[in-house]
Amino acid sequence: MDEEFEPKIIGFLCNWCSYAGADMTGTARIAYPANIRIIRVPCSGRVDPLFVLKALQGGADGVLVAGCHPGDCHYGDGNYHARRRLALMHRLLTFVGVEAGRLRIEWVSAAEGNRFAQVVTELTQQVKQLGPWTGLQS
Amino acid sequence: MSEEIQQAIRIRAKELLKLGEVGCVIGFERGRQPAGTGRHPALARTRPAFVYDPADVDRLVWDQTCSQNLVVYLHPEAALGAAEKAHHRVGLVARPCDVRALNVLIHEGQVARDRVFVIGVACPGMSDGQEIQAQCRRCRERVPLFYDALVGKPPKAEVVVDAYADVTEFEALSAAERLAFWTGQFDRCIRCYACRQACPGCYCSECLAEQVDPAWLTIAHTVPQKAFFHVMRAYHLAGRCAECHACESACPMHLPLSLLNRMIAREVKALFGTVAGTDQQARPPLATFRRDEEWPI
Repeated sequence: MDEEFEPKIIGFLCNWCSYAGADMTGTARIAYPANIRIIRVPCSGRVDPLFVLKALQGGADGVLVAGCHPGDCHYGDGNYHARRRLALMHRLLTFVGVEAGRLRIEWVSAAEGNRFAQVVTELTQQVKQLGPWTGLQS
Repeated sequence: MSEEIQQAIRIRAKELLKLGEVGCVIGFERGRQPAGTGRHPALARTRPAFVYDPADVDRLVWDQTCSQNLVVYLHPEAALGAAEKAHHRVGLVARPCDVRALNVLIHEGQVARDRVFVIGVACPGMSDGQEIQAQCRRCRERVPLFYDALVGKPPKAEVVVDAYADVTEFEALSAAERLAFWTGQFDRCIRCYACRQACPGCYCSECLAEQVDPAWLTIAHTVPQKAFFHVMRAYHLAGRCAECHACESACPMHLPLSLLNRMIAREVKALFGTVAGTDQQARPPLATFRRDEEWPI
């Protein structure tokens, strides 16, 4: 097994900014790692913080939650709520032994195709270094 | 100290029941287990008591083993006795941490303030018979935030240097060590849900742990299921846990559950500047936000 470890990363992208941003990455033909599996959500505020743990327990090695920049939320304040919730979840997961680098929360607008590619590239490299996540699983 | 509190509770309970101020006083009574058994070997166990008749108030006791949080009996779905249901008000023996838990429930609209006559205990701290328990040694609160009657003399609050020293100490371990620790702890969990039942903050009529659709958890007795349950419970108590320690006291496997809750409480205070149950006006920290806040995530 000399194959390089390819992490699985689950990306929760908000419909209005980050998902469109990922679309922009594609239409602009910008390459980014295929390690990310994207789940489109209506808003980053839709992401129950427990989704993160559920993803990690379900075989993901890293999780990305991306939403509109603060102030740009389609629904006004969904991302502000997400920010609080996920900041706390991040700390809780770190406390029970998940490496801090496995979860990332980013704001990516619909115009930031470059940035989306950069975020995914960075996170993929980071998780690659951390190795596969096998904790809290049977 | 305890004798004095016990006497005061009896007098107050008798008066309240006689005058018809309350239909029931929820306090503690001596359990059947004699001294020399159970978790507090030096003291006979105590258990919750529901006193409806003024002639019965001598059943009520209070000592430093009365560690359950009686606020759980105020949950809307708790099985209340007929007399209690018929009557608008109940008397409740409550320590400072219990009162903050009660405050959370009042704030969340689960309990009406005027439904409870709070017999506040000036708390000397819980003890295992030999020494004051760790969580009480860390606690600064000696007098409840609010009460309708106060029993006991406020003891001198000890100076607590760093109430979260144990949390910080645990955080100094590596991620792998922390994971190994919690995996071992969660592995010992028997999924009895005693922590949830003992918790005043856990009042959902359908707990996520038992919800069928969507099924967040299976009934499997495995580490991932138990880990998810405990992380979920800790998270759901974020900004709401009064750190009364009822979950940990109730745990038959002695899991260090409050370590999770206290870590979150510390973060909630550091990030959002709130302490559970101290403010009845402010919105719960996770139901609100400030536009200008920013933390490293």
